[in-house]
Amino acid sequence: MDYTLVVALEMIRAIAWLVLLASGLAIIFGMMRIINFAHGEFLMLGGYTVVISTNAGVNEWVSILILAPVVVGVFGIIVERLVIQRLYGRILDSLLATWGLSMLMMGGVTMIFGNTVQGVSTPFGGMKIGAYQVPIYNFVLIGFAVLVLVAIWCVLKFTKAGLIARATMQNADMAEALGIRTRWVYMTTFGIGSAITGLAGGLLAPVTGVVPTMGMNLVGQSFITVITGGASVIAGTLSSATLLGTISQGVTFLTGPVYGDAALLVTALVLLRLLPQGITGRIFKRSL
Amino acid sequence: MSDWTNILETRGLTMQFGGVTAVDEVDFTLRDGELRCLLGPNGAGKSTFFKCLTGQLIPTRGSVTFKGEDMTGWNTHDIVNLGIGIKTQMPNVFDGVSVYENVRLSSRRKHMAAQAKELAEKTLERCGITHLAKREVGTLSHGQRQLVELAMVLAAEPALILLDEPAAGMTGEERDRLARLVLESARSAAVIVVEHDMVFIRQIAKFVTVFNRGAIFREAMIDEIMADREVQEIYLGKQANVASA
Amino acid sequence: MEKSVLRDPGFYVMVAIGLAAMLILPVVLDMFTIMQITQYVVLAVFALSLGYIWGFGGILSFGQAAFFGLGAYTFAVAAINIGETTIPLILAFAIPCLFGAALGYFIFYGRLSDVYLGVVTMVVTLLFWKLANHTAGPEYAIGEARLGGFNGIPSIPVMNIPGEPEAMLDPVQMFQVFMGFLIVVYIVLRLLIASDFGRVSIGIRENETRASLLGYDVRRHKLVVFAIGSGIAGLAGAMWATYQAFIDPNAFSMEMSAKALVWVMAGGVGTLVGPIIGVILLQWLTLKLGTMELLNSLAVLGAIMMVLVLALPKGIVPTLRKLIVDGWTLARRKKTGGKADE
Repeated sequence: MDYTLVVALEMIRAIAWLVLLASGLAIIFGMMRIINFAHGEFLMLGGYTVVISTNAGVNEWVSILILAPVVVGVFGIIVERLVIQRLYGRILDSLLATWGLSMLMMGGVTMIFGNTVQGVSTPFGGMKIGAYQVPIYNFVLIGFAVLVLVAIWCVLKFTKAGLIARATMQNADMAEALGIRTRWVYMTTFGIGSAITGLAGGLLAPVTGVVPTMGMNLVGQSFITVITGGASVIAGTLSSATLLGTISQGVTFLTGPVYGDAALLVTALVLLRLLPQGITGRIFKRSL
Repeated sequence: MSDWTNILETRGLTMQFGGVTAVDEVDFTLRDGELRCLLGPNGAGKSTFFKCLTGQLIPTRGSVTFKGEDMTGWNTHDIVNLGIGIKTQMPNVFDGVSVYENVRLSSRRKHMAAQAKELAEKTLERCGITHLAKREVGTLSHGQRQLVELAMVLAAEPALILLDEPAAGMTGEERDRLARLVLESARSAAVIVVEHDMVFIRQIAKFVTVFNRGAIFREAMIDEIMADREVQEIYLGKQANVASA
Repeated sequence: MEKSVLRDPGFYVMVAIGLAAMLILPVVLDMFTIMQITQYVVLAVFALSLGYIWGFGGILSFGQAAFFGLGAYTFAVAAINIGETTIPLILAFAIPCLFGAALGYFIFYGRLSDVYLGVVTMVVTLLFWKLANHTAGPEYAIGEARLGGFNGIPSIPVMNIPGEPEAMLDPVQMFQVFMGFLIVVYIVLRLLIASDFGRVSIGIRENETRASLLGYDVRRHKLVVFAIGSGIAGLAGAMWATYQAFIDPNAFSMEMSAKALVWVMAGGVGTLVGPIIGVILLQWLTLKLGTMELLNSLAVLGAIMMVLVLALPKGIVPTLRKLIVDGWTLARRKKTGGKADE
């Protein structure tokens, strides 16, 4: 019984993990149809912000909830202005440029902070479920995953900005024709997507520690979650995170973490063969 | 291949997008060797109907039969390989290569290299674009690119030719040449032309199908159609343009 | 591009330069330099694999290193087990080629868009890298060959003359054989591109819809192009493994894929000479910058990639070609006293 509970909890944590990793990326993909290949390094930047500011004496929660999103969000806007906006309409070039940015950031952070793992303590410690020790922080991660999704949903559903975003997601040309300044929308989107990614990176930092190459271990899962989900931010991220999280965690339980990643990829490939536009390209088409 | 009387038939062809029915239960037949024009106001469903024929859209319901073979839901390239030549609305050409190479890629499909070369050259001649043979297609005008695409269609020697707005963006002279080419091609193949340009339609049309609201509204000879009050009504705004064109 | 290869003087010039380098360089240069150049030759083959599928098939793969690494590991494992290198070399082409075909089936028959193609190929590379790193334990062995995880596989046999496992090549011979490979790959690709198959690929690159409207099966075509590119990348990987006599998971690294992209971008997409020039130029630059020890090589690579995308999207060779052609026309116009109508 306890074991089942722990396994179920781990599954949910895995799903929440994917939601956190992918949400910021999914917003950018849903709106702009580009993948930010420097996504992993945006996560890393969020992580470093938390570790550095906490070690400098800032309250850990302030670092995670405020500093990380703000720093990465602002960085995202700068990147959008300097790089992405020059490449609108050249999707492949924007992928190449963000990949270049990814390596530049990885190398740059290595030059500044060195190639060692740094960390902060994980808040809250653990609790016992029967004979098993479970970190309370897992519940924090799950809670924030839910919070992020709900927040995005509310913004899309109830605000004017959300309406504009939905229009742009459905049909960018049409939105432009209706007088929406898509360039401004794109900049904001990129900023918000980056901020959420920063928050995710900040939340992950206490668990994984930070190292310049940490992004590489995270982008694979993020990318697969987003492209499997398709262009709808919430329905796509949630459905693919649920499916992929369950499968990869299941395989991880059986064989270890490396094959969990492999299972993730194989599932995604088979799924994309059947549903080339991702899950929300065929099912839940009209959803957010 | 089974016995067939009509080269192309659709039965109950329906295409829905979300809640919108763009093509509604269309039964359409075309006899071998026939030249048919499809008319109708914007949004009448002509282009959607056309795309269901070419495999660019998979119809929600109904069937498309070519020479007695059901080809509903086939891939475009398989449909083409049955002997159907397709010219899409926007010119679909290979911009980065020469006019000759464009046409040769088409003729090479069915012929060995030597015959393909000959056929490509003959088709260029026929379409009156031999002087452009060495030009890169991307550098040509819209109307010229339309002609290149038509040449590509003809070089495949299809039994059925589907043309979606072939006269768009053409000069008067180019359009006259196009009309001659279409009439000439209609002697060896069945042809369907979707078109807005009434000047062009008058040059080529005999029997005409008028679409409205996703369904066939009227089928008759062109003179009869032009005199039909109801057709004029659905066309109203259009007709004014035609007079001035 | 469209005229027959056999009537293109540039083709003969390139082959002649290659042959000259193969025969003359060992005479005029010292052993150490020759070994350095051998490295460029291997990487040039790798660059060609991407230059072909991207420039002449319109397939932008972000994971060419997956096939490079697969070829390297295939060669290493097979050579250690068999004890000679001819069959391993063939396998190092065949296995990545088949894997490319399998992956291509999912990508092209699923009609995934370019963005998805980029993501999938990149993730596959990441996965290989992770898996290869994970095989440190003694239980991860194929026959005699231990995969060694992040420590890699040492003592990979040096290439030998076919049928004579004892007759191993010395560094100069290896350079000459590899130059031979490079020339053969170049010639084969040029002929392939000029063939009807290649012309259809170019058509597909230009306009997929039109290609299918002519009755060509775009999916199958792209799959074949992708598989050929994968095989060549695998061959390059095998050359790399036997040249270094050592291979580790970095063969699968994202950096390796990125390098291939940068070479092709720098040299020019849509040419075969470009990627080769890209390798020479950028490897030389990396060497110079590397000796300064100030800058992180990854950061430099990333910066170069961004600058190329933003400032020189067409690459060096096409830009130069355009300059020369424009200059030539201008000069001719002046000579004939043509009207200055611009």
